[in-house]
Amino acid sequence: MNLPELITLIISVALTLMVFSYILGDRLFFGIATHILIGVSAGFLALVAIQKVILPYLILPLADPDGSGFWLALVPLVLSILLVLTLFRRGIQAGAIPLAFLGGVMAALAIVGVTRGTLAPQILSMLGRFEPAQLMREAQPQWSAILEALMILLGVISVLFVFHHRGQSKAGELVRPVFLEGVGSIGQIFIGITFGALFVGLFSSALIALISSLSEIIRFISLWF
Amino acid sequence: MKRLLPLIVGALSGLVVLAAMFFVPQGSAILSAVLNWVIAVASVALLVAIASLVLTHLRFIAKGKKGFLLSIVLVVSFITTLALGILLGVDNPIFLRLVGAIIRPIETALLGLVALVMMSAAMKIFRERGWSALTVSFGISAIVFLILGLGFLQNLKIPVLNEAIRFVEGLPMIGARGLLIGIGIGLLMMAFRVLFGMEGSGND
Repeated sequence: MNLPELITLIISVALTLMVFSYILGDRLFFGIATHILIGVSAGFLALVAIQKVILPYLILPLADPDGSGFWLALVPLVLSILLVLTLFRRGIQAGAIPLAFLGGVMAALAIVGVTRGTLAPQILSMLGRFEPAQLMREAQPQWSAILEALMILLGVISVLFVFHHRGQSKAGELVRPVFLEGVGSIGQIFIGITFGALFVGLFSSALIALISSLSEIIRFISLWF
Repeated sequence: MKRLLPLIVGALSGLVVLAAMFFVPQGSAILSAVLNWVIAVASVALLVAIASLVLTHLRFIAKGKKGFLLSIVLVVSFITTLALGILLGVDNPIFLRLVGAIIRPIETALLGLVALVMMSAAMKIFRERGWSALTVSFGISAIVFLILGLGFLQNLKIPVLNEAIRFVEGLPMIGARGLLIGIGIGLLMMAFRVLFGMEGSGND
């Protein structure tokens, strides 16, 4: 192991131990580790934003007044100046305009992205299960395929009913019709199954990370013994 | 007027982008220009957020607020990273290795810590929310998928069992599909509210 590798390993083990000190109830070393993470990440993000985006998209076009991009670059420049003004107490109101611009464009992108990327594919895939070619084979009904298609339809509708909160309010509590309550309960089962599977996936990833961190510490100890 | 101008800017920019997306290829040039503006303005917004974070911590240090030692750690690590990045360049392998040597172990250890927190949270859910359709199906699903994740049952190579496993593995997709459609509809409603000025987009 050469010197840079050894230094990297020492830093890595020290930071890992600082994070794991949280288990023992320590807040100081855990706080130092998390604040180092925030500081380094913020510094790195700022550098990337300046060098990779702001310089080529905002500053460089302004360097050439005869270029076609000069006038176009004035718009984000004005919006950026208004944003920077929010750092000062008197300029907080000015930030509303660039934020509204970002919000408006993001909303438009969300409308197109959600309809084309989420809603249409999900609904089409659900309805695709009811195509005659899927449900019939050699003029015989495929009962397993029919059952599966119906279950998917019921599952999706019942999940949507879980979030249906229209009902009569009695003594501050929402009372939904019995039918909605029943369908909502079925939806809760499907959501529970999904969350259970997601939980296991996340837990497995976290467990692998835990093993990786512990093996790093063991590797460091084995260097000395 | 103070509230009206941001609403007009938000609605107008959104409608222009929507129109440019529907009228392709006539609107492509407008769309490309607006998206470039968004990238630049969003990066400046990120810088402003970082500057605000650092200024807040500098204020904590100046006032000697409780926990200002951690603020010193944050500011020093921020300035050191920034200085090194300017000196060596963002793409410098030594700089990237240094940043990676600090960020990677902390993130991995934090993710490892999440495993322990998730264990206790999974137990807590039954104590806090009691036995309901949601908690019971969550618990059973977690156990079943934990067992399936081991791959032991798949290795038995029993056709009926494999068919049952395939069916069970498809079940989470039903809930996920319902959730995705629900989130999609909610997002769509929210986006329309922003476009038609019914939702404050940065004007508050």
